[in-house]
Formats: sequence, C-alpha cells, structure tokens
Amino acid sequence: MNSIVRQDCENALAGKTDLLKALRNETVLITGGTGFFGVWLAEMIAGLNDKHGFGARLILMARRPNLLYEKAPHLAKRKDFTVIAHDVRTLVELPAETSFIIHAAGSPDSRLHASDPLQTIDVIVNGTNAVLAAASRLPVLRKVLLVSSGLIYGAQPWEMTAIPENFMGSIDCAAAISAYPESKRMTETIAAAFRSQHRLPIVNVRPFAFIGPYQLMDRPWAINNFIRDGLRGGPIRILGDGTSVRSYMYPSDMAFWLMRILVDGTPGRSYNLGSPAGITLKELAEKIAACFPNPIRIECRFLTNEIARRSRFVPDISLAGNTMGLAINVDLDTAIRRTILWNQTARPAAETELIDDRV
Amino acid sequence: MNATDTANKMKKILINDPTLRDGNHAVKHQLTARQIAAYAAAADAAGVPIVEVGHGNGLGASSLQVGISLTDDHLMLKTAKENLKRAKLGIFVIPGFATINKDLKPALELGADVVRVACHCTEADTTQRHISFAREHGKEVYGVLMMSHMASTETLIDECRKMESYGAEGVILMDSAGASLPADVSEKISALVENINIPVGFHAHNNLGLAVINSITAAQSGAAILDGTARGFGAGAGNTQLEALVAVLHKIGFDTGIDLYKMLDAADLAEKSILPMIPTIKSISIVSGLAGVFSGFARHVERAAAEYKVDPRDIFFELGRRRAVAGQEDMIVEIAEMLAKKKREGKK
Amino acid sequence: MKKIKVAILGSGNIGTDLLIKIMRSPLLECSLFIGRNLASPGMMKANSLGVRISDKSIDAIVRAPDCCELVFDATSALDAGRHWAILKKLGKTVIDLTPAKLGVLCVPAVNLNDCLGHQNINMVTCGGQATIPIASQIAKIHPNVEYIEIVSSIASRSAGPATRLNIDEYVETTERALAVFTGCPKTKAILILNPAEPCIDMQTTISARIKNPDVSKLRAAVTQMAEKVRQYVPGYQLILSPTQDGDRLITMIKVQGLGDYLPKFSGNLDIINCAAIAAAEEFAKKKAPEK
Repeated sequence: MNSIVRQDCENALAGKTDLLKALRNETVLITGGTGFFGVWLAEMIAGLNDKHGFGARLILMARRPNLLYEKAPHLAKRKDFTVIAHDVRTLVELPAETSFIIHAAGSPDSRLHASDPLQTIDVIVNGTNAVLAAASRLPVLRKVLLVSSGLIYGAQPWEMTAIPENFMGSIDCAAAISAYPESKRMTETIAAAFRSQHRLPIVNVRPFAFIGPYQLMDRPWAINNFIRDGLRGGPIRILGDGTSVRSYMYPSDMAFWLMRILVDGTPGRSYNLGSPAGITLKELAEKIAACFPNPIRIECRFLTNEIARRSRFVPDISLAGNTMGLAINVDLDTAIRRTILWNQTARPAAETELIDDRV
Repeated sequence: MNATDTANKMKKILINDPTLRDGNHAVKHQLTARQIAAYAAAADAAGVPIVEVGHGNGLGASSLQVGISLTDDHLMLKTAKENLKRAKLGIFVIPGFATINKDLKPALELGADVVRVACHCTEADTTQRHISFAREHGKEVYGVLMMSHMASTETLIDECRKMESYGAEGVILMDSAGASLPADVSEKISALVENINIPVGFHAHNNLGLAVINSITAAQSGAAILDGTARGFGAGAGNTQLEALVAVLHKIGFDTGIDLYKMLDAADLAEKSILPMIPTIKSISIVSGLAGVFSGFARHVERAAAEYKVDPRDIFFELGRRRAVAGQEDMIVEIAEMLAKKKREGKK
Repeated sequence: MKKIKVAILGSGNIGTDLLIKIMRSPLLECSLFIGRNLASPGMMKANSLGVRISDKSIDAIVRAPDCCELVFDATSALDAGRHWAILKKLGKTVIDLTPAKLGVLCVPAVNLNDCLGHQNINMVTCGGQATIPIASQIAKIHPNVEYIEIVSSIASRSAGPATRLNIDEYVETTERALAVFTGCPKTKAILILNPAEPCIDMQTTISARIKNPDVSKLRAAVTQMAEKVRQYVPGYQLILSPTQDGDRLITMIKVQGLGDYLPKFSGNLDIINCAAIAAAEEFAKKKAPEK
C-alpha cells in the first residue's frame, strides 16, 4: 500500500471534504486515466470514498489500462473503480451515468511532441473533439474539466513575475515544436465552441509544473534531473547559469485543486494550476542537495557570458485563490522531501512510460 | 555586478578536441593505443576541456564499410581515460552504427564523460533514445548535425529543437564537407542562437581553407562550442587547426581555458608521432568542398572517372548539383556514364 | 484452390499494404481488417474495398474465432505479445511483422518449409529479409566465413517514427538473425537513412571476410538465390554480383517496393510484407489438401 500518497491525500482533504460534496454518489470519468493526473485523482477519490463515505464511482479511461495495474495495482483492483481501454480519438459513447468528466488524455512528454508532432496533435485535438461530442449527449452531465496547459501562453516575458490567465501570450504557429501548445490552445477553443453551441458546462485548467510521487524521473525536466542526480549521489548538474525561475506544485494540492475546480469552477473560465512560489534553478538544486545525508556537489555548467538564457514559468493563481479560496498547502521543501522518500521506498519497479512503437 | 565587471568578463568558448576521433579518418582508423595515450596526456596538460576519442565514425563503427580500427573501442577509451586527469573523455555516437546496449552503455561504464550523438542534419529524431540514455546516466550530452550545409536554417532550427527536447545540452553543426563560407556560418549560427535555448557549436572542415575563419565567425555569432584538431588532423583537407584557433580566440578576447604554449606542444607532439603528413588542401578537397559533397565519395569518383574516361571533378560537381549524400555511390557510375555520353556526342 | 481466411491486425500503413497484396493473392482472403480507429486512412481504404473492418482490436477475433485461420500482426511489439497469448489459445497461426520475435524467424527463400509447423512466425527485419538469403548462400559455400556485415541505406521518407525510435532494436535483431541463419560467429548491421530526393530505393551492401573465396561459385549461387527471392519480392535486384574488393567479398542488392499502398521507395517495408505474404501463401498451400 502506498502510505505516502495516502497520507498526502488525507492531509489535502482534511476539513475540506464539504467543498467537494457535489461528488457524493456521483460517477466521475477521467480520460488519460493512467497518467500522472489520473492516478492522483484516483488516489484522492479512493480517500474520499474510504475515509469520508463519498460513494463516488470512478471510471478511468486509458489507451493502455495495464499501465495502471503496473503503477498502482491497489487502485486498479478497487470495486468502486472501473478501468476502460479506449483511445479517446475514436470515442463515440460515454457511460450514461457519467456526471463529471476530467479530460486529461495526452502525453506531456516533450520528446514525443518533438518526434511525433502529428500524433500529438491527433490525440489532443481529435481526442478532445470526440470526448466533448460524446459528453454532449450525456443525460446527467454536471461538469467537464478540460486539462489544457500552462504552455499555451508561449514564452513568459522575464519582467512578468507570474502569468495571469488573461495574458494572451504568443506562439510561433508555423513551428513543428509548437504542435503541443498550439493543440492545447485549440482544445480551449473547441471547448468554447461546445459551450456556445451545445451548452456544455466546461471549465479549463492550465497546469504548470509538478513534483511528487508517481512522476517519472526519466523526463528531461530540471527538477526531475536534479532529484535523479541527487538519488545517484550527485553531482547535480545545472545547465546554464541557474537563474531561470520555475515553480512546482505538489500533486496532492494539484489533485484537490482539480476536483475543486471541477465542482466549483465557472464554465467558460480557464484557471492556472500550479505554485506561485518561483525559485531559481540554482536555489532549487541547493534545496534538493540539502535533502540528502551525504554532501552532494552542484555543478553549474554555463558556457557563455551572453545575456543568460534565463526563462520563467510561474503562474499567477489569484483567480483560483480569490474565487475558490484555493491555496498551496504543501511547500516546496516538503514536496521535495516526500518525492525523494517515495522514490527511495515506494516507486514501482516497472516504471517505463511506454513509447508507442507501432509498426 | 557592475558594468565594468561585465565588460571585463571574457566570453567563454568550450573547446572539444576530436584529434583522436576525427583524426582517425586520416589514418584509416589505425591510431594506436600508444599514440592515444601520448596525445591525450598532452591535451590534458594543455587544459583542453574535452578530448574525444574513437573510430572516425564513432563508437561501434569499426566495419568493412567505413574501415576496421586497429585499436578497439574498449582499449581506445580505457587508454585515453588513464591519461586524462582534468579533461573529460568524449565519445561520438551515430545511431545506426552504434547501439546503446553494445556500444554506448559499455563506453559509459568505461568512464566516458561527454557523449555527442550525431546524425545527418535532417534526421535528429533518430537520436532520441541515445541522448535520453546518456542524460539519464547523468552524462554531459550534445547533439551533432552532420553535413549541416545541406539543410536550410529553418530545418536546422527544427532539428536542433528536437535534440533539445530529448535532453541535449547543446547542438553542434558539423560542416562535414567543408562547404560553408563565413556568411553561411554567421547566418545559421545566429539563427540557431536566437531560436533554440541551448548552446550552439560549430565543427569546421578545411576544404576551402576557411576552417579557422568559419570557426571564429561562429564564435562571434554566438556559438559557445568549437571543435578543432591538432595540426588540423583529419581526412582530406583536414579539420580546423586547433592551436591556431585557440591562438586567434585568445587574441580577440575569448577565454578557452587552454594554455597556448602547452597546446602548441601538444600539436608538435601530434605532428611528430601521430600525423603521417600535415593535411593540405588538394584539388579533390577543393572540388568536393565547392560541390558540397561528402568527401568519402573520392575513391569511387576517381575509379569511375578512370573507367569512363571523364574528369573526376565534373562528377563531383554533378553530385553536388544533385545533392547526393553518403550511400549514393551508384549515382557516381550513372553520372560518369552520362558525362561520357555527352563527351562522345560533343565530339561528333 | 479454395482461399484460406486471414485477418489483419493493425490498420496502419503496413497493414493496409498487406491488405492490397492479399486481395491479389489466389490463396488468401482477408476476412477481417482490424484496427483501433475506424476513421484511420487504412480503415477507410479497407472499407472502400468492401473488406469487413473492425475497431475492436483483438476482441474482434475473440468474438468471432471462426473468421480466420491465420492472422497477420502489424501492430507493435508490445501489442503483438498480448495478441499472441490469446491467438495461441484460439489455435490461430500468426505471422508477426512486429519486432516481438516470439516465434520462429522466417526468411522464405531460406527456411520457409521449416517454419510451417510453427504457430508463430516472425518476419525478422527488412535488412534481414534482404540479406539473409544471400548471406546464407555465402555461408553454405564457405562455412568458415569469419565475419558478415550488412549496410542498408533506406529513404528517409520510408522511415517513420517507429523505425527511428527503434534503430538499435533493428540493428541487434538483424545481427542476431544473420548469425542464426549463417552460423557466422561475428555479424554487423548498419542502417543509414538517406534524405536525398527523389527518394532512393532500399540498397544493401553485404560484405564478408572469407579466406580464399570461390568467387565464381559464389556468383552462381547468389544469382540463383536472388532469382528465388524475386519470386516473392518482384522488386529485388542483384546490382553487384559477388566481387572481391581488397580483403572483403562484396555484393549489393536493391529493393524497390511494389507501390501497393506504401510508396515504391519504401522497399524496406515492402520486402517484409512480400515475405509475410509468401509465408502465408505457403501455409495456405499446405492446408489445401485438408479442405
């Protein structure tokens, strides 16, 4: 049993279950059910059911359901959970009892986006179309939460310390590398069209960056690299001069926010999802190094003296904060420590996110 | 940091020295362990940051196709590692020649520090697994785009972005045919520096006598990584002459961390005990450089030219016009036949 | 001769190209074209040809097990493994075009008859199909061959994301298959992607290290073998007969695809499909007397 994650969920829910009472005895369907979001939401709902008698039913839809059995067998076997194998792109029918939908299908792996932008676009755009079309015929649908991305803003201007939802941003639509963010932008437009034409109650969420259990350490993202380097005894290598700024949300906060926004978010609104606590990569590396008992060396590999190619990726979360009182409960230090602990003790053995090697 | 400090802080260039890898082409991959030991030690003493070692085509490339190496990968890397105290040991990997299990993994276990994963300049997505693997093992990883004169700036940007997404911490443009002019280098490097978020590098060849100036131009356009070999050791017209490059870089205000005197000593040593001859720019090099054609065609071209009694230089230019790449040797015979036919018809 | 019923699992380019070939075959009938997405180009093509389609993946066969005797699996190594567990129990013969390698390696020109008794037949790799016929002849004449090397150049456009991601796997499988079929202790496979336009056909050079090779005997054998391969791979051509070049014996072949669904420059993909059809047709012939 995954006690670290269980404890995190209980902490997140403590005293707040009333805010989610709309989910009692309801049927929640999550696409991308075996992904990072799917698994954490499943853990949360398991907690709500086991400890707080919510009686919610969860349907997890995924292309490869066996991934759930590998990652979290305790969730896959639950009687109140159903796992359905389906590719969102060809979805026509959703179970009639579905009242809440979280559409999270689509890989966030930037390597896949670079190597197979066509598949990336196909899954995200056509998948969203199919899911919302199917949703429009559901008899008891209450709300749909569309998972977009903080990358839809394009590059964050350096002077902007945190991106608010009304920042229009800009992306070079003619670049292959824009396939992922442009597709995600398109899904928000598709959602708007479904709201307008089919009166579907859809709320959007724009996730930024996260660190916690169930996240794969092989992803080439800074914090994953640092923790992985630390687990290996170091050195922790920072590329560039370490002045880039990032922020990371712990997934128990993330999952709680997702459910709260699902239940209480205003249809037609997009909410940033992430931590507003920006930290430079250098400081992040130092924080991570400090979590290990043995001294870990930090290497700052910076090749040139030009204007440092620093970047920022930090959300302004006042919208969610002001309208729904959402806040960050797990600080970064705790997040890092829990992640390291989970990786050292509870991480499942077969942990390769499969690359689709179709002939 | 005040303005004066910023102005005084010199721009840093990371030098990658493939004398013991690219140079191997010049001796048909017959570098001995002793030669590797001697040069590695000398380069290390000079403060060269990365010493790249191996068969000319990288790990696992020893073959009948491109030449069997005298010294196997294992011994080459082991020998070099024993003789490098400060410098990092670099390896060169071309997916399709080298595999992770057979070649890359053992090389990392032997202590390779820097991994450069290379491909033809339009095929970056073949490098995903190898770059990811090296990255996951905490190594310094770069992507290399070969024959870079053959792709447009837009394509190069796309390919570099792919490598960046796989985890490459820099991308090096390799002007394998020595076809670039300074203006080309300036345009491509500047565009990459502007459009990708990781450092950019340049690896020049001297077919048109432009290796050093092309490298300098790259640095001035924002490149942070440059390749060079001792005395320009390399096939045909050779690579950028490293000691000359370092001298010029220092003179114009770049910091390489290399001790010039000791670098000159290392080059002297290379000349004495490694290079059978100092590379010169022969006619065939100029022609292949102008034509922008892979220099490995030379042997086939000369043979076909002799057989069909046509000028080999004409064959090269036609290959260039058709944008031939390695593996299209059969086109050479076809061209030779065509030229011979034209000649006959011209005589009538 | 009555046709045997076959199903195709995998509605991508490979599966669709197989379908076109099957429709030409006097021995095979495609009773079911199966994928995951009814809207995919392959599915629409199959439908337009009047072939029964299904998006139920392996379930389509489980629900109607009499629909076919033989199944072509053109999905992925991972899925092929899953499918095999089910198809084995159903008593189906599987021709596996994925890198799964669960069954016997089959190169029709060399070991087709030996494969017929097996329930799972794997088609190796494109490089394997192209070179093993030739390499096996070299090894037959010179059992003491020390080293065999193949270098394949394929058009960049014929290499999709799956090929690009799995180059290592291709190299290692081809090397192992070469070793198995020739008994040669040391083998090497190299793959080069060539972006030249117009697209090149698949071209492969086979080199061998042999002490005192009997070149004329090799030439005769290789020429004859190339003719044998051409019976099921019409675009297979020996462009350089075995020749001594320095310390190596070298021979070159070229494969141009039929252009059924895949473009002609995808000779590398076509050769596996042609080989798979050859295997299936032989299976059908052997089955015929039972009907």
